[in-house]
Amino acid sequence: MATTIDDPLRTGAPRGRSAPASRAGVGPLERQRRRMFWPFTAPALTVYAVLFIAPVGYALWTSLYKWDGMGAMDWRGPQNYILLFRDPRFRTSLVNTLELMVIGGTITFVLSFALTLVLREMRARLFARSVLFFPSLVNGMVFGIAAGFLFSPTGPVNQALKLFGVTTPPKWLSTDNLLPMVLGTLVWTATGYYTSIIMAAVDQIPDYLYEAAELDGAGPFQRFRHITLPCAWDVIAVCAVLWTVSSVKIFELILLYGGSTNAYPPVSSWNTAVYVYTEAFPQGTVPRLGTATAAAMASLVMVTLITVVLRRLLRREPVEY
Amino acid sequence: MGRTTMSARRVVGAATAAALALGASACGGSGDGAKASGGFTYWSMWRADEPQAKVLKAAIDDFTAATGAKVNITWAGRDIAKKIGPAIAANQAPDLWDESDDKVYGTTAAADQALDLSPVLQLQVPGEDFPVSQVLPAKYFDMLPKDPSGSNHYVIPYEIVTNAMFYNAADPAIAAAMPSPPTDWAGLLKVCDALKAAGKACIASEGEDPWSNALYFDYLLNGAGVNVSQLAADKSGATWDAPAVLTAAQQVEQLVKGGHLIEGYDATKYPTQETNWASGKAAFYMDGNYVTAEVAKQVPAGWKMASMLPPTAKTPDANLIGFASPKRAKNAAAAQKFIAFFLQKKHLAGISTTALNLTPRADIPAPAELADVQKALDAPAVRLGFDGVSGSWLPKVLNENYLDLWHGKTTAAQFVAKCKADQVSYWQTQG
Repeated sequence: MATTIDDPLRTGAPRGRSAPASRAGVGPLERQRRRMFWPFTAPALTVYAVLFIAPVGYALWTSLYKWDGMGAMDWRGPQNYILLFRDPRFRTSLVNTLELMVIGGTITFVLSFALTLVLREMRARLFARSVLFFPSLVNGMVFGIAAGFLFSPTGPVNQALKLFGVTTPPKWLSTDNLLPMVLGTLVWTATGYYTSIIMAAVDQIPDYLYEAAELDGAGPFQRFRHITLPCAWDVIAVCAVLWTVSSVKIFELILLYGGSTNAYPPVSSWNTAVYVYTEAFPQGTVPRLGTATAAAMASLVMVTLITVVLRRLLRREPVEY
Repeated sequence: MGRTTMSARRVVGAATAAALALGASACGGSGDGAKASGGFTYWSMWRADEPQAKVLKAAIDDFTAATGAKVNITWAGRDIAKKIGPAIAANQAPDLWDESDDKVYGTTAAADQALDLSPVLQLQVPGEDFPVSQVLPAKYFDMLPKDPSGSNHYVIPYEIVTNAMFYNAADPAIAAAMPSPPTDWAGLLKVCDALKAAGKACIASEGEDPWSNALYFDYLLNGAGVNVSQLAADKSGATWDAPAVLTAAQQVEQLVKGGHLIEGYDATKYPTQETNWASGKAAFYMDGNYVTAEVAKQVPAGWKMASMLPPTAKTPDANLIGFASPKRAKNAAAAQKFIAFFLQKKHLAGISTTALNLTPRADIPAPAELADVQKALDAPAVRLGFDGVSGSWLPKVLNENYLDLWHGKTTAAQFVAKCKADQVSYWQTQG
């Protein structure tokens, strides 16, 4: 490779002749770039193919078989997928996944926007940002474990509520409140994370835009709607995709809030990730890797579709400033 | 341009280096192989700091000293059940490993990947005058499901676990309410009423946990002659219509509706209620016998651990923790020699004296806290919890419906109808 690049002919070529420009009017810089394309991208592509495409391909292949991971593989064709969609438990998992994604996402982003609105204008905002960011540093396990203590009927949360005159607080840890609790924890950790990213973009917006708007009589909300939102749109769009992808992978929170030492969480609180886990590691029987991977493929397709649609919906002309 | 050339070289160089590194590490992964010369590899479900590990380690050291065979031990912890399948598939599995019978069956025996260990039964227990078959009661093997090759000797137990209602026999309130253990369900309810009148909750329950709470249902079904595994296997769900099943559900409902479960049980997480029970706020707690070790440091002085099965239960349930070998084990004979070696009274007794658990040998006395449990296990037959029902039936059919009943959200009749419906759709999707 290197020798081609060092080829001295390039500079020594006679000018004015049409032969060197045989590649249809491509300039030397462009040609150089094209030559460099593969050497530069090949390592990344290789890593991507080995670590991502190959496992997904393998999973797709496995999803067409009945397999316990050890013995022979029985060909099933699309049967695993048909059974999967006939399983009401899987359909509930899909709905739960979408619920966490849409409801959790809406609350997270509404809160993030509200915080952005406040943080831009407030003093000590760097400190406030660190405080907001802190929950996302803490491992989800800690919340699951702490919740048992914090939200128990005589725990600190209810004691605090009592001070405010709430005498019959909800049964926080009951099975009915499982998904709302997971959602709450999720929103709490994610809000700080996305606020930090969005604020980083907002910091780049020149102050004079805000000053001009203020002079024109725009209130804080209008400044947010007409300056912050359009100028930070690219970053917000990326955040939305990041949220979508990460919400599908929520797993340990459900397991920790809903699972006990002896059993999986109640089936009505499963999302697709938990469903995949229970199929891959069932109790007292061999793994059902075919259905597990089929469920994983189904959720991969779902998140891909949603991401593509989301990207389309969020596409805007970038604002130059 | 000069810079581009340089960086291009670097990139190519880096890519080559990366490729070499990847290649090298791929090579580094393979090749293990246990040593020959009477030695073998052993992956343990215990972590090195657990008492069972200490008992096993002492025996292994003794084994090496006596036979010269080297044992290559990995204290893998409970993750072992998830690692063993892939290890077998990659031909990297150990010669010996241990887990509970359901894990051994589920991860290996059901797929016909577990070695039949019946030859161990013929081996002489070193230093004792009888073969292994005489020190291990046959009932522990009889209860196990058979693997595809027809063997139920894929696990050789060294520890037994059973489930029962535990209580403090020295508690005056309990002694007053229950002069002698009840013999029928109405008797238990009467005990609960007496406790309630004395201001003590009858049953402490981790309301989130379907398994321990459903053990009441499991034992009630057993008392009524219903086999849970057969109930679960009925694709039409018709078995749920048996009057005995509804009666068992109604009996559970009586505990719930009677207010016999400790207050707040449906709004806490483990181990809140276990702690409440250990501090005397409720009389009974249903769990595996390991609970006595769990609360040993919490219970007040003077606590006298006792246990009983729910009245009407006919057969105590049991789980085995024991040794297993993959079919592809390279040093199976050496590993089997060690199994027989560990079953010697002097080594196995450590499971009782050091690890404070039950052993399968009748001539090793149980720890004092487990005396009642041991007595229950002396029954002529034992059974697996939930009659060994496996797979996703528990999470997909029973568990959540049972929790709804246990939390008082559904009636016994609704519970039975819901289980029946869910079981039908469960079997339609099992392929």
